Amino acid sequence: MDVTVPEIPTRYDDFTNQLRAFITAHKPTLDWKQRTGLRVPDNEADVAALRTWVRSLHDAGYQLARFSLDETDPYEQRILQRELAMAGVPYVLGNPLVGGALKTFGTPEQQQMLLPPMSRGDHIWTQLFSEPDAGSDLASMQTSAARDGDDFVVSGQKVWSTWAQWADYGYLLARSEPISGPGGISAFVLDMRSPGVEVRPLREMTGTTDFNEVFLDNVRIPAANVIGQPGGGWTVAQTSLLSERSGVGSGSGAGVSAGLVEIAQQHRRRGRPAIEDDAVRQTIGDFNARSRIFKALGYRVATKAAQGTIEAWDAPLTKIWFSELNLEVAEYGLNLQGGRGSLVEGDPDAYDDGSWQDRFLYARAWTIAGGTNEIMRNVIAERGLGLPREPKGTP
Amino acid sequence: MNFAFSEEQDLLRSSTSRFLERRRSLATLRLTLEDPENFDRQAWADAAELGWTSMLIPESYGGGSVTDQAIVDLIVLGEELGRVLHSGPFVPTNVVADAIATWGSDALRSEWLTPIAQGSSVAAWCLSQDGSLSPEECSVRAAGEGGTYRLNGVARFVEGATVADVLLVKAVTDEGAVYLLVSPADDGVDVRTQQCIDLTRRFGEVKFDDVVVDASRALSADSIEVEERAVNLATVLQAAQAVGAADQLFADTVAYLRERMQFGRTIASFQAIKHRIADMLISLEGMRAATHYAALALSDDFPDAQAAVSTAGSFVDETFAALCGESLQLLGGIGFTWEHDVHLYLRRALMARELYGEPSWHRERLCALAEAV
Repeated sequence: MDVTVPEIPTRYDDFTNQLRAFITAHKPTLDWKQRTGLRVPDNEADVAALRTWVRSLHDAGYQLARFSLDETDPYEQRILQRELAMAGVPYVLGNPLVGGALKTFGTPEQQQMLLPPMSRGDHIWTQLFSEPDAGSDLASMQTSAARDGDDFVVSGQKVWSTWAQWADYGYLLARSEPISGPGGISAFVLDMRSPGVEVRPLREMTGTTDFNEVFLDNVRIPAANVIGQPGGGWTVAQTSLLSERSGVGSGSGAGVSAGLVEIAQQHRRRGRPAIEDDAVRQTIGDFNARSRIFKALGYRVATKAAQGTIEAWDAPLTKIWFSELNLEVAEYGLNLQGGRGSLVEGDPDAYDDGSWQDRFLYARAWTIAGGTNEIMRNVIAERGLGLPREPKGTP
Repeated sequence: MNFAFSEEQDLLRSSTSRFLERRRSLATLRLTLEDPENFDRQAWADAAELGWTSMLIPESYGGGSVTDQAIVDLIVLGEELGRVLHSGPFVPTNVVADAIATWGSDALRSEWLTPIAQGSSVAAWCLSQDGSLSPEECSVRAAGEGGTYRLNGVARFVEGATVADVLLVKAVTDEGAVYLLVSPADDGVDVRTQQCIDLTRRFGEVKFDDVVVDASRALSADSIEVEERAVNLATVLQAAQAVGAADQLFADTVAYLRERMQFGRTIASFQAIKHRIADMLISLEGMRAATHYAALALSDDFPDAQAAVSTAGSFVDETFAALCGESLQLLGGIGFTWEHDVHLYLRRALMARELYGEPSWHRERLCALAEAV
């Protein structure tokens, strides 16, 4: 059913078959239960197994363009992403957001030193942007970076950092210049093993621990670890966030209605299979349409990106479309299960071991993370359509 | 597949837009809103030279498309026609031309395709007594009598019926439905303009009272096959018009909100308004993506073409209607006046929603397709 942009030529069949054989041979066996979303292993052995997997993938010559300094074939890239997603295995560990920043703003030394180990699974990265008091208003961050000789000395608190508990490096934003707002912020590469870095895993409403708080207490970072210019961190971050937003949910959306159909076939409503209920059929039809449109929007954005005609609204629009649809679908999946919808992972009667309940709870992350959907609507209106900016507040 | 229009298609768009501005702008349309036909035959014939009615007609009959994706060419036209709420029977003429080109006998093709391509003949499609796709709502009966059919019954919401030169009529026989080409001038055919909420397009009630039609005027294929193709095509062409109309209305609305001052600032500077504008853009881009994908899917015969069409059919017109409602609310008092165009868009959207497969019909098809996977 998949229609590609444009279609992958048959001469890539060998590449695909070899890749599939490779995945079958090397796919890691994990103790940790995999769930939908950006989830993080809960034990060290699984992290090690995943590192081994990413390393063997990389050493076999499979590299993603985002992190590679070499030329890559766009068709091979698409096949690679598709096959890895289908097999449920990662191509990189941690949060790879820094990859785009390093490729655009990093020095040749930084690129050489940091990109290959990231794509090889040797370095796991985390992102250190949000703070307890700086979420949507990221530019008001308080974490300070004071110049001291060849170093910066950093103190503050970060939050919502995925993979920080296993990370080797952090992509850090901190205020290095004595001015408020975005102009005073710099981007850093932080060695997570530096003295003064403390990671506290954060348990979320899902019951799982996929994010962390990170405390920084007089942490010394060499000045050579600044990405881009001192005071230029906001531009660096904006560039990488834009790519994160458009990447949200890509690849998902397909299979949404198939999942709902399966639930509706296996649950009853008013004395008959739910799939025979007209209201249910209409709702599934509607979700099918909207998930297909999500896919078409993705094709459109990919085409515009290739032609250099991306609009400022494209990424936030796609992010809103995905995250709101995803939440609705997950909630409807529970609704269709009736009373059983309240049974979660661990209960013997739970549907599919509670995967939909977990998906529903985790769905709340997507409408908030990577820029809340309210901020995304501001971006669409202000940066996309050029409408007047929000006035600066006074407390 | 390329999700962008080609240079030739961009050229088609600009020439169409210039033509419409000159000959059939929304301001011109306003002058003929009360006209029972609301159709400029000369403008239609001139427009035919731009390809409005020839994309799906073979070159041997004077047709031909701009690119090898004729249906994508047509949505380019459809968007521009929708932008000015064009009143002409763009959808039925192309749908009927396609049916004749695909399933008509040589005689029928010779009789109709060239005049349609030239814009001298207009076609309409008589589907059911309530405009829906439900087979039980087809009230036209055809009794076979030695090489002829005798038609009795009524079809309504027939777009372009009042100006049509040929009608593609669905009629039920004892052996199932047939599609016949009937001339509105035939004895026993009566056409009445319906008073509809849409003030731009014209719809008619067509009565058949003992109309005798030669069996040679039947299309060769099974009626289900004919209808499926016609519905797919009509859905996409109408969706394209909705996209063009919504795009124009959105631009006009945002332009007004940027100018309108209240409380000492433009109302576009209020976050409550900005977020609604953002939501309108999200809807509009969804309509656009759904329609473009459906056109590509039909043009290139994708395996998921049915689902692609029903995605557009279930989403686009309904969302267009909602978007018109949002525009009206944001425009405030000025939007409630007769003078402002927003009600013309809203009226058009309300009617489009029910035609060529209502959203619930398309959603049911989408659910059935998801079950079949």
